[in-house]
Amino acid sequence: MRYKAIILFCIMTLFVSAQMVTAQEKEKIQKETRAERLKSLENRFFAAQKEGKTIKGVLVEGNSLFNSTTEPQKKPYGKPYTDEELLAARKSAERNSKVFLLGQDGTLYYPTVKRGEAVSESLGAYRFERILTEEQKKTKTFTWATLVPMVGRQIEVLGEVYPGYGGIKGLYIEAVGFEGEYIVGKK
Amino acid sequence: MATKKPITLRSIFYTVVSLVWIFGLSAIGHITMVLIEKNNPGIKYDFAWGCAITGFVLLYATRLVKSDGWQSFIGILAGLSCWFACEYSLMYGGHRLGVTYTWNGSYPEYRMMTWSYMFFLLVFAYLLFQESVRCNFIFYLRKKLRLMRGAIATGKIDNYGPRTFFEYIMITWAFYVLLMIGYDEELFGVYSWYTYSLFFASFSVFFYLCYKLLGYDRFGANLRYAIPTVTVIWNDVEILSKWGMLKEPWVHINWPIMSVIIGGFAVSTYLIVKDLRARSQGMIESKDIT
Repeated sequence: MRYKAIILFCIMTLFVSAQMVTAQEKEKIQKETRAERLKSLENRFFAAQKEGKTIKGVLVEGNSLFNSTTEPQKKPYGKPYTDEELLAARKSAERNSKVFLLGQDGTLYYPTVKRGEAVSESLGAYRFERILTEEQKKTKTFTWATLVPMVGRQIEVLGEVYPGYGGIKGLYIEAVGFEGEYIVGKK
Repeated sequence: MATKKPITLRSIFYTVVSLVWIFGLSAIGHITMVLIEKNNPGIKYDFAWGCAITGFVLLYATRLVKSDGWQSFIGILAGLSCWFACEYSLMYGGHRLGVTYTWNGSYPEYRMMTWSYMFFLLVFAYLLFQESVRCNFIFYLRKKLRLMRGAIATGKIDNYGPRTFFEYIMITWAFYVLLMIGYDEELFGVYSWYTYSLFFASFSVFFYLCYKLLGYDRFGANLRYAIPTVTVIWNDVEILSKWGMLKEPWVHINWPIMSVIIGGFAVSTYLIVKDLRARSQGMIESKDIT
């Protein structure tokens, strides 16, 4: 019985080692650490901001926008919803209705993945890198953000704009910047 | 069920060390996941497989040790490893199904875990009716609900390892589900009466459990009973952070605080291992727990 246990243990150890080798290979591929990536994104974000190349807008929820239940495009910029509408929009967004960026100039952007990616995940579940100002860095706030908790809020995006279809443009978000906390339970 | 003894300096020492160890273990578990997600998310599923295999190997290894102390110690590590794998499997499921974060910030894997509550109830029902289960809480419920048909199970327990493994997983699962039900704004909400009640109930029950824990003066029973005690107070830590009143050092990676926790964990591990080794060598006299 003891020999059987030792054999079982050896097989499992071999399996774990094989997994670890695979992980190390993947690590080698991912040479750029997150800190380096964030630094580079930060530099590009602030450079683009200076040149006016970032995209500013508010995040709006798609279902209520496309069936005209809400009209965030007709509201003053920065306040796309009433309190009641905002709650409903957030609920829908967390039930995976799509989130769009309504630009300051009225352009509607559909957040998408980088051009060429055939199989992709829902962007509602995606963590975007967050660019922090020097003041925000001192607060030890989150260094990433996701779309759903940000519905109704203004954000600034570093990314690529694609032609899209029917007037709605595609937007690949590389990093976002915004004021305040990334909502974690705060009223 | 372990026999309760009077509170002594020795039992205070065992209680403090057990609480520090279990708390440290949970905190280190959390920061490990956060660091992987932050620095190298590409390895997380390989890590999860590693954890699952390690967990099952450790679980099997509990049959090779005799003392209830070592069995409990290894059982907890096995439980934690397998729990890591559970969380990562839900993370993977959430990713494949496109589960979003909630607007109040809850993660996809925990949103999915909320709806496992019925599975939890089924397993709990089994434990409730299984008369050989000697968990104090279940035993209390069984007595109050008049579910006992036969005599109370007695006699020596030889498989504390798997029992501790299962206890760790069940308790962690139960408290996650309780919290997530509270955080769901469509059921109760972060600022609902339910979450406030959970906070105050956890806070008061923690002291009661600490008092009960003080009655056990050896690491086997103490480690096992420290699991619910720490998990109950962990609830409060989680709720405070959800209310924005606390920034968890393992989520926001506060190294000075984490260093203290890791230091406490290292010292408590040393003390536990030292005590268990001394006990195995017969240097500390101990009677079997009935």
